[in-house]
Amino acid sequence: MSTKLLSLKASQARWVILISYIIALALDTVALFGHSSPIIPPLTLFFLLYWCAHFLDRTHLFSAFILGLLADTLYQTPLGSHALLFSIITFLMIRHRLRFKGYPVWQQAFFISLYMMCYQLLNYLFFSPILNSNDVVQYWTMPALSILLWPMLAYSLGKISHTAADD
Amino acid sequence: MHFVIAFTLAIVLMVADHYGQLMGSFRGVLLTTISPIERIATLPKQFYQLTTTDFTNIDTLKLENQRLKTELLLVKAKQQQFSNLQLEVSRLESLLGTAGRINTQSLQIATVTYYSKNPLSQYLTLNKGQLNNVIEQQTVIDSKGIMGQIINTTPTHSRVLLITDPDHQIPVRIQRTGQRGILSGTGHETTQLGFIPKNSLVEIGDLLESSGLGGVFPAGYPVAVITQIENKGGNPYLDVTATPIADLFQSHKVLILSQATPYLNFDEDLGKDPDEDLNGNLNDHINKDLTESLNVN
Repeated sequence: MSTKLLSLKASQARWVILISYIIALALDTVALFGHSSPIIPPLTLFFLLYWCAHFLDRTHLFSAFILGLLADTLYQTPLGSHALLFSIITFLMIRHRLRFKGYPVWQQAFFISLYMMCYQLLNYLFFSPILNSNDVVQYWTMPALSILLWPMLAYSLGKISHTAADD
Repeated sequence: MHFVIAFTLAIVLMVADHYGQLMGSFRGVLLTTISPIERIATLPKQFYQLTTTDFTNIDTLKLENQRLKTELLLVKAKQQQFSNLQLEVSRLESLLGTAGRINTQSLQIATVTYYSKNPLSQYLTLNKGQLNNVIEQQTVIDSKGIMGQIINTTPTHSRVLLITDPDHQIPVRIQRTGQRGILSGTGHETTQLGFIPKNSLVEIGDLLESSGLGGVFPAGYPVAVITQIENKGGNPYLDVTATPIADLFQSHKVLILSQATPYLNFDEDLGKDPDEDLNGNLNDHINKDLTESLNVN
C-alpha cells in the first residue's frame, strides 16, 4: 500500500486534479460573493497543498502560479500578489512534503494550520486589510478552522484520487 | 529553480500591474477565463431565487407594481422640471457668455449579477460588457448616488470597483460649503474623507457630491453623507467618516453613465438582453420629455 501511495503520478489523475481546482475556485467564489467572512480558508490553496503533498513527481509551482493569478482576478488584488503567496506556501510544502506525507492526518492538519498562519501573515503584510474587531478575530481564527477542514478534505480527495489512479 | 522563476515573474507582474496600464487587457483575459466559474458559483443562489420567486404572493406583486407606478409618476414629474431647468440654465449661460455647460451623459441600465463584500476588495459584476460598448472608467450610479466606476470589462460582463473599496478614491466637495476633499474606501460599508483641515465648517449630515476633478466622475452627483467627525490631537486634518448614499449591495438595477456625450444621443444598439426593454423605455422617456420641453420653450 505504501509503495503504491509513493508511486502515484500526477498524470494518472490529471483530470481529477483539474476538476478539483475548478471546484475549489467555485467554492472560493461562493465564499467571496455575498457576506464573505475572513474565517473561511482559501480552498484553492488547500487543494493545491493536498495535491502537492500527494503527488511527489511534480513541483506544482506552475499550478500555484496560475491559481494565484486567478485568485488575484477573483479578489481584485494586484496581479501577481496571490501568485507570489501561493508559490511561497507551495515551496514551503515542497521542502517538507516527504515527511508530511508520512504523518497521521491530525498531525498533517496541525502543519496545514501553520501554513495557513503563514498565508494569513503574508496576506496581512501584502494587503493590509482594514479589519474591524469582529473581522480581526475571524481573520486570525482561520488557521484553527483549517485543522478541522483538513481531515475531511484529505479523506475525500484521497478516496477520489485512488479511484482515479486505479481506473 | 521553478520557485525562483515563479517568484521573479510574480514580482515583475506586480510591478507592471502597479505602474503600467499593460496589465489591463491581461486581467481582462483572466476575468474572461474565470467568468464561467463565477457563473457556476452563482447557480445555487439563482436556483434559490427562482424557486422563491415562483411562490411569491400575487398580492405582494400587485403592491409592488402599484408602488413602482407611483414612483414612476413622481420621477416623470421631476424629470419635466429638470428638463425645463436645464434649458433655462443653458439660456442664461449663453446670455452670460460663459463657456460652462451642464455635463450630460447617456445612460445604460445594467443588472448586478454578483458582488464581493470582502475587506480586501469590494466590487460588483454587471451583465454588460464590451459588446454593449461598456468601457473602463465609466461611472456607475443607482437611484440614489454614485456607486463606483468600471475597472475591467469582458465581452459580456464588467466589474465595478465600489467607492468603499480600500483602493478606491473619488474627488468630492461638501455640497453646503463647497470645500473639496478626497473620499477613500475602507473595505467596509463606510468611507473616509481626507484632507479636511481642522478649521473647516464641516458638520455631521453634510452631503458630499462628486466634484468632477480628475475627469473620471461627472460633477454634482451625490456620493455620501458625513456620519462622524473626529478631531485627533496632532493631526492637522479632521478624521471624517461618511456613509455612501447609494445602496451598494442592495441595488439590483444600476445605471452606467458614458462620459461627455451629447444629451440626445440615446440610440445605442443594446442587443437582445434582459435590460433591453428597460433601456428602451428609459431612453424613450428622456427623449420624449426633452422634446416636449423644447417645443414648450
